[in-house]
Amino acid sequence: MIGEAAGREGRVVVALGRRALSVQFRRAQLLMPTFVLPLMLLAVIASGTSVAQDLRGFPDVASYLAFIVPGTVIQGALLAGLTSGTALAADVEFGFFDRLLAAPVRRTSLVLGRQAGTLGLSLLQSIFFLAVAFAFGARYPGGVVAVLATIVLAAITAVGIGGIAGAIALRTGSLSLLQSIFPFVFVLLFTAPAFFPRELLAPALRDAAVYNPLTYVVEAVRGLLAGDATLGDPWAGLAAAVLLAVATTVLATFALSERLRTL
Amino acid sequence: MSAPAAPSALHVALVLWRRSLNEVLRVRGALLPATVAPVVFLLGMTGQFGRLTGLEGFPTDSYMSWIVPLSCLQGAGFAGAATGSNLARDIEQGWFDRLLVAPVARPVLLVGPILGGVSRSLVPATVVLLVGLALGAELPGGILGLIALYVACAGFCTVAALWGVFMALMFRTQQAGPLMQQGVFLAVFLSTAYTPEVLLRGWLASVAHLNPVTYVLELARQATVSGTQPSFAHTWPGLVALVGMFVVLGALALLGLRRMGR
Repeated sequence: MIGEAAGREGRVVVALGRRALSVQFRRAQLLMPTFVLPLMLLAVIASGTSVAQDLRGFPDVASYLAFIVPGTVIQGALLAGLTSGTALAADVEFGFFDRLLAAPVRRTSLVLGRQAGTLGLSLLQSIFFLAVAFAFGARYPGGVVAVLATIVLAAITAVGIGGIAGAIALRTGSLSLLQSIFPFVFVLLFTAPAFFPRELLAPALRDAAVYNPLTYVVEAVRGLLAGDATLGDPWAGLAAAVLLAVATTVLATFALSERLRTL
Repeated sequence: MSAPAAPSALHVALVLWRRSLNEVLRVRGALLPATVAPVVFLLGMTGQFGRLTGLEGFPTDSYMSWIVPLSCLQGAGFAGAATGSNLARDIEQGWFDRLLVAPVARPVLLVGPILGGVSRSLVPATVVLLVGLALGAELPGGILGLIALYVACAGFCTVAALWGVFMALMFRTQQAGPLMQQGVFLAVFLSTAYTPEVLLRGWLASVAHLNPVTYVLELARQATVSGTQPSFAHTWPGLVALVGMFVVLGALALLGLRRMGR
């Protein structure tokens, strides 16, 4: 009986996840920023700041492009999460979410379904970013396992950001608000050592980076891809990503309860 | 009874200018994204790449001073591109069709919104400048440098607005909004955004040299970069670049306007 109910909810989550993904791919304007913007920034930073390798204290890395790819992967995860929240806000604003609420399914499945879509989008994004960077000369000495671990870490992080964005979407139901918080995503990115080693960040930023969970994720990805544990601890990254994902999914579930209470 | 006199082109432009300014006053938070994004980039880039000033060949020891003009241009560019998004919305909602039957030359219909974009761009440019100065950016260029910075911002905003208008007239949907923004983003960052030309490596060195925005940035950097003091030599390339972009994008926008309704 319990297994049957769990199976039904699982199918709901998968169906909602698939719908979330197909909506994303049907609206190219939503995908442009998530797939193109991080690559543009990667290309410009890789060429524009590669001279930084000459700085004293910069780690001895074989490829500057490979060193900054983790920043791009995490940026993609951030944007995937935000895009997911934006799409949820659109569902709320245009009434689709209210129709879902009338369906005989658990309310948490509605949140998890959206998160499943975010996870799928992030998986595709990370594969795309790593492949494009590889085509342009980035190499991953950590090997295939490291690449797979990177994709998983990024996906969990995207779910974490999707939880925050989803909570805001459910709480406010405002598409324009979600669209206008786009710049704040970059606050999270820039307060982590996304493109530069933590030791070389500005002192204030270095202090702030300690409290940003993305710091541990981006360093973990860097360590994994380079096959060099001194660049980042994979377990610290995994712990930070999982904690973020669990905490924000709970937050989004609370936001949904609050929304139902005030309907 | 005689027919009412047709309004003058100037009057129409001023009325449409005022209409686009009303959006700033009446739509809460309309300027927020265009203002916050450049400030976030200013702080983020300075924090991430501030140590680059330690490299030989960097013209200033304050990275904040190096990035402030870039962020000002970015803010002005986003404000300009928003002109295109607004026009696309007007086209989608049918408002622009009604304007097209008005007894005025079609190009006049674009003047007001573009002037509105330039007026709006003063807000992000000024906010970024003030934040930068508060956080340690220098102002060695004085008044002349500041004039150069604002001319660069107004000029770049106009060019970005023409780009946005061209996109809006071509796609006639607000869904082209990201294309307008990313065009500005690309133009700004494929230049000497992070480092001076002598420190650029690889393909970006060649692209930045050809990119007219590099010269507009040089014009703007006369305000804050101690190695780029106000002078005719640092001014004319930026002005020529702005005029060149204005002519090309203006022609494309007019072409799109001529095709409207056909």
